[in-house]
Amino acid sequence: MIDVIDPRKTIVVTGVGVVSPYGIGMDCLQTGMLSGQSCLVKTKDLYPGFEGSTAHVGSLPLAAKDNALRYSRSDRLAMVAAEDAVRAFDSESAGFRESGVIMASTVAGLSEIEPGFAQDPGAWYRHGGGLLRAASYPAAHVADAVGEHLGVNGPRCAISAACASSAMAIALAANLLLDGAVPIMLAGGSDALCPFTLSGFNSLQALDPEPCRPFDQNRKGLNLGEGAAVFVLETLDRAMARNASVLAVLRGWAMTNDAFHSTAPETQGNGLADCMRLAMEMAEAGCDDIGYVNAHGTGTPLNDIAETHAYETAFRERRRPVPVSSTKSYFGHCLGAAGALEAAITIAAVRCGALLPTLRLTDPIESASVNWLRGEVLRQTLPLAMSVSAGFGGSNAALIFGSGGFGSARS
Amino acid sequence: MTANLAAITGIGSVSPYGPLGGLIPPGPVEPESITAWTTAGLRRAFMVKPFRPASVVPGLKTRRLDRLSAWALVASSLALQDAGIDLSNIDRSRVAVVFGTGFGCAELTEAFYQSAAVNGWGGTDPSPFPEGLANAPASHVALWHGLRGPNITVGSKGLAGESALIQAASLLQHGQADLAIVLAGDTLTRAIYEWYEVAGLLSPACYNAEPLPESGSFVPSEGVAALVLEPAERREARAYAHFSSGGWAARGDAAGRIREMLGGAVPSVIICAGQGAPCAHGSTVGLAREIGDPSAVIVAPQAVAAGIADAGALLHLILALSGRPRGGEALLLSTLGDRGFAALLLELP
Repeated sequence: MIDVIDPRKTIVVTGVGVVSPYGIGMDCLQTGMLSGQSCLVKTKDLYPGFEGSTAHVGSLPLAAKDNALRYSRSDRLAMVAAEDAVRAFDSESAGFRESGVIMASTVAGLSEIEPGFAQDPGAWYRHGGGLLRAASYPAAHVADAVGEHLGVNGPRCAISAACASSAMAIALAANLLLDGAVPIMLAGGSDALCPFTLSGFNSLQALDPEPCRPFDQNRKGLNLGEGAAVFVLETLDRAMARNASVLAVLRGWAMTNDAFHSTAPETQGNGLADCMRLAMEMAEAGCDDIGYVNAHGTGTPLNDIAETHAYETAFRERRRPVPVSSTKSYFGHCLGAAGALEAAITIAAVRCGALLPTLRLTDPIESASVNWLRGEVLRQTLPLAMSVSAGFGGSNAALIFGSGGFGSARS
Repeated sequence: MTANLAAITGIGSVSPYGPLGGLIPPGPVEPESITAWTTAGLRRAFMVKPFRPASVVPGLKTRRLDRLSAWALVASSLALQDAGIDLSNIDRSRVAVVFGTGFGCAELTEAFYQSAAVNGWGGTDPSPFPEGLANAPASHVALWHGLRGPNITVGSKGLAGESALIQAASLLQHGQADLAIVLAGDTLTRAIYEWYEVAGLLSPACYNAEPLPESGSFVPSEGVAALVLEPAERREARAYAHFSSGGWAARGDAAGRIREMLGGAVPSVIICAGQGAPCAHGSTVGLAREIGDPSAVIVAPQAVAAGIADAGALLHLILALSGRPRGGEALLLSTLGDRGFAALLLELP
C-alpha cells in the first residue's frame, strides 16, 4: 500500500450528500443503519396493486424557485443530495462555479410519465404539463438539474450503466479531475421509486415478496428503494489549498464488463473479480489491505452466487476471509443511485471503523473466502474499504476508499 | 479542458446515408415522409432506411434487438473493420466501449409503456424492460465483440457525442484501456418526434416537400456513428485525425475557454456541430467566426447530423472528414445557445 501521496494526483472526497429512506444527510443514514433499522415496508402502502417490500424517501423539501413540473423526483432527490454535499462548501470559493457534474440515473424522468403517453404522445404532451414532464426523461436531465440548482458551470453528464452507474460516475469524475479538466466534480447518482421500475422488475420475477436476504441460501430476489448520493471530489492539493475537510481518499477505481449476457452476470464472477483486482492495483493495495467490502448483494439468486465467486477469485491470496456485507438489506436496491449510496456507507465504515452486517442473513452461501458480516456491528479499524457494483449489461465497477492518513488538510 | 492524444483510426456509421464503413461518399440526402407511424398529414424527417444487419456484418444476430442496439453493433463492426483491427489478436479486456446518447433505447421504453397502457402495470411485457436501459447498445457491442474493458454510456444535453469522445480519450490516457470504440446516436420515435412538434421546434421543411433551407433548420434525424480510438503512439496505421484536447461546459465564456484550450493553436478548419435548433445553429457559426482566424474554413452544421439532437457530433465529424478538409488543426465546435458548449481540437493529416 502506498505511503507517499502526490497531492496533484490524489483524489479526495470533501463532501458527501445523501438522501435515503432514513432522511437527509449522512448522520441520519449512519444512525439508522447502526441501530439495525430496516426501512423496508409493504409496497402496496405506497403503490396500490404492487406486492412485496420497498423503501422510500418521504416528501422532499423544494425551494420556491424549483418548478415542480420541470423536475422529476429523481431530479429533486439529486438536488437535495447535492445541496447536502456542498453544505460545508463556500460557494464563492475559487473553482466552485466551474465545478462539473456527473450524475447517474436509470429512472430519471420515467417517474413522471404515464402509460397513456405511449398511445398518443402528442395529446399527452399537450395536457397536464406533459411536455415539461417528458423533458425530464433523458438521464442527462438529472445532472442539469443539479448544475442549475447549485449554479455551477462546468461540464454536465449522465452515466448509464444500469446498477453500476453511480459508482462509474464517481470513477469518471476522478478521471476528469486527473485530466485537469475541472477543478471540482460533483458526482453520484439518483433514482426515484416509480411504477415503471416496480412493474419492470416484477415482470422479470426478480422481486422478493418479503424483505430481501442478500447472500442467504434462501434468498428470493431484490427489493427496490430510492435515494440519491452526491460526492464532492477534488484533488488533494486543491483541498489543501482551501483547507477543506477531507472525508476520505479515493485510492482506486476500475470498470469492466462481463461480455457474457445482457441481464445475467457471468456465472463465475470473473468480470467483477477483474474489476476488483484492477481497483486494488490502482490503489497499490494487496488483498489483505482491504478491510471491508460493501457488496453489490442484490439478493437475486444469480447475482449473489456470481458475486461470491468473484470474491473467491479476487481475494484468493488473502490470509483471512474478507469481511463482506450487503447494505441493500436495509433500504433496498436504489438502482442508479446504489453505487453512490453504498460508497457513502463505505466511507462511513472507514471513518468510524464500524462494519455493518447484512440484515436477515441466517443461512449464508458457503464460502471459505468470505466472512459474511451478520448479527452485530463489527468494530474494526480499516486501512482501506471497497464498494462493489454491478448491473444489467455486464457492467462492473469497484471503488476503494481510505482514510485521509495525512495531516495537511483537515481530516 | 482535457489534454489527450489519441488517433481516430476507424469509422463506421448507420445513418440516413445507410450503413457505411469509412468516410461517407459525398451526396445530398433529403428528409423523407415518415411512414413508421401514423401522422396527421405530411411529416418529414431524416430516417435510416430499413436494412438487414447480417447483410452488412455477416453472422450478426439482431432479431431480438431494437434498432439502436442493432445499429451500434453494425457501426462498431464497420469501424473496427475500417481500422483493420482483428480483435482475436487483441487483449479484449483492454478494449473500452463508450456510447453517447440522448434518449437511449426509446423504442423499447415506449413499448413498455404501451404494454402498461394495454395490460396495466401488473401485466407488462418483460422483454423491453432490461433491453430498454440506455446502456443496452453498449452492452451488446461488448457482448458481440467480447470486449471486457470499461463499458460506459453517457448522456449530456446536446453534447453526448462530444462527451463520449472526451471520456474515451481519458480512459486511454489513464491506461484504463488500450483501445476504445466510441459511439454516439439515437433513434427517432413517434414520441420524440411529437415532442419536438408540440414544443414548436420543427422546421417548416418537416411539413412540406420543399428542399431544406440552407441553414438553421431543425429536421429530426437518427443514426449511430462509431469511431475507433487508439493511443496515437501505439500504431503506425492510417489515422483520419488525431484528437488533441477537448472540453465542454454548461455555461460560461465559451470563446475565452476555447481560446484557453487552443493555447495559441490556430485551427484552419472549424467544424460546426451541435443541435439543429436554429438558436444553436446560429450561435455555433457565430462563435466559430469569433474565435477563428479569418482564414479558417468554417464548415456549417449538417442538417442530417444536427437532427440527431443530443448525439450528432460524431456524424458531424465523419461528414466533415468526408469532405476532405485541408490538413492542419481543426476544431469541432458545438454550442447550445446559452446552455453549453463543447470544443474538440483535432489534428488532420
